[in-house]
Amino acid sequence: MRRRSLGNAAAPLAAVIIIIVLMSIAMLVAGTSPLDGFSALIAGSLGGRSQIGETLVATSALLFPSLGIALAFRAGLFNIGAEGQLLVGALLAGAFGGSVTLPPFLAIIIMLALGAIGGGLWGAIAGWMKAKLRANEIISTLMLNFVAQYVTLWLVTQWLMGPAAIGAETAWLPNTYWLPTLIPHTRLSIGILIAIAIAVLLQFLFTRTVLGYELRAAGEAPEAARRNGINLPRLTWLSLTLSGAIAGIGGATIVAGELHRFNTQLSPGYGYVAIAVALVGDLDPLKVCVASFFFGILEAGGLAMQASAQVPKDTIHVIEGIIILVLAARRYVAQRSERVEAGSL
Amino acid sequence: MSGCGFVESGFVGLVVSLVLLTLVKSAPIVYAALGGVISERSGVINIGLEGLMAAGAFAAAVASYSLHAGWVGLLAGIVAGAAVGYVFALAVTKFKVDQVVAGMGINLICSGGAAYGLVLLFNQPGASKTVPQLASANVRCLNMNAGELVLVVLAFLLAIALHVVLYRTPWGLRVRATGENPLAVKSAGLNPLRFRMLAVITSGALAGLGGAFLAIGELNLYSDGMTAGRGFIALAAVIFGRWTPLGATGAAVVFGLFEALQYWIAGQVAWLPADALAALPYVAALVALAGVTGRVRAPAADGVPF
Repeated sequence: MRRRSLGNAAAPLAAVIIIIVLMSIAMLVAGTSPLDGFSALIAGSLGGRSQIGETLVATSALLFPSLGIALAFRAGLFNIGAEGQLLVGALLAGAFGGSVTLPPFLAIIIMLALGAIGGGLWGAIAGWMKAKLRANEIISTLMLNFVAQYVTLWLVTQWLMGPAAIGAETAWLPNTYWLPTLIPHTRLSIGILIAIAIAVLLQFLFTRTVLGYELRAAGEAPEAARRNGINLPRLTWLSLTLSGAIAGIGGATIVAGELHRFNTQLSPGYGYVAIAVALVGDLDPLKVCVASFFFGILEAGGLAMQASAQVPKDTIHVIEGIIILVLAARRYVAQRSERVEAGSL
Repeated sequence: MSGCGFVESGFVGLVVSLVLLTLVKSAPIVYAALGGVISERSGVINIGLEGLMAAGAFAAAVASYSLHAGWVGLLAGIVAGAAVGYVFALAVTKFKVDQVVAGMGINLICSGGAAYGLVLLFNQPGASKTVPQLASANVRCLNMNAGELVLVVLAFLLAIALHVVLYRTPWGLRVRATGENPLAVKSAGLNPLRFRMLAVITSGALAGLGGAFLAIGELNLYSDGMTAGRGFIALAAVIFGRWTPLGATGAAVVFGLFEALQYWIAGQVAWLPADALAALPYVAALVALAGVTGRVRAPAADGVPF
């Protein structure tokens, strides 16, 4: 069933209105005038070259896991484990880059590949459990997030600690291994281009390939898909593996592009926020890019808002949660109005 | 300490200390798992348990701090869990929001809201100030405080109570019927959504109680991330316990044992890495999930909106 273009335009608009209203309330409660709060937010995210750079860094960090989540959701699988997949991918990339000497170009390629392998492996565990043992992927991906958190912490503190590490982090990558900077004098690397390329590939996958058709069929009508000879278990592990691999490449680009080392704290919950991003983007790869930019503004501006307007950054997460609730509810409203219209014909 | 020789000495002492620690670590998971059982038996998968626990823990800490009374904190935890549970229930019944999506939304709202509240109310990020506990006096020989003891016992009593309610009362029958076949409930002239609402609100109250246990039973503050995935582990316990109150309680105790083992082993065997051991409860939940799911059956309408 195609959703109407009006409904599609209403989603981002609704999100923006909710954000403005709720943030105004949060700012008033925190004792700041909304005008000051929003100007701090905008100035902190779009007010200059380095601010825009930081916004795009956050955009990139959110875009990878959001695309991975969108892929899994489209296939009817709730991958809540992007956080862990991103972390494992980042760890493999950081452990390799911080300890191995190779020609730089090759090293960068291997780091990105290791990111995909780490994240893909973490997704594949849940995929295998779902396909072979019918274990609920929601719970397994959630559990794997915590396992990833503690296992990476253990591996880093036990074996991979960098020589000048502050906190649990690996050795720095040699600067020849760093992804090239995209905008000079900012932290933004070309990682974001990789993310956009993946978005385009996903769009192609969904609209132009048999695999994409099968994925969507499995998500929208699994019984019909099965009866038409589509191998559902294969699609299950494949889509969770791919989903994890995309999040894992994201982890590797954070390591190779911005942090230049692996740190166990490198994600402030990107994998969870990405669920909101994927939903706001309607699980459509190209719209997810726009949604990531939007949330990138919130993430980067939120820090500035906290510093200069004394509005806690956590406000942003409350609002993201409310957006998830409201946007998912909007689907129901849209469906109901369709039903009413159909009835009136 | 004196007069508790059997608890302190030798092998028996070690085992007793592990059992006691297991009970304390199990209790919050038991509460959340009971909440998960009642919710799923009515047909609602409650991924929001984690956030509901955080809401309960935060409310308990705030109320206990501002009124200097642990029992007020306990009530506040229950009420906060039920209130957020009401929002979740509305979303998944009246507005037919996808249950998993709504649950993740609730988790973000609760953890973010608590973090925001810490800055507003305690003027410090990360953790609250120290708050009064439910009852901080140590129980002789048991290595836990009076509040923990009361809440541990209450957890198991509630498990039995929920068993009786679900299997021995008309209301329980209707809740279970709603989870299996809401249309049949509707055909009988009852409103299945009402049972789902009530079941989810009860689920919130139970998870809130579990959160309160963490904040003012076991500890004496709220800190960000203190629920540490217990709400999610509880979901695994629900499956492992085959959607029954007593089964889920047993499963919660098993996961509690693994959490206790992590501290207990670290205390006995110093060379084992504590960070790797911290992953134990989650690995246990994964293995349990992998081992048991092909062979159990969820309520037929679990996760299906009506």
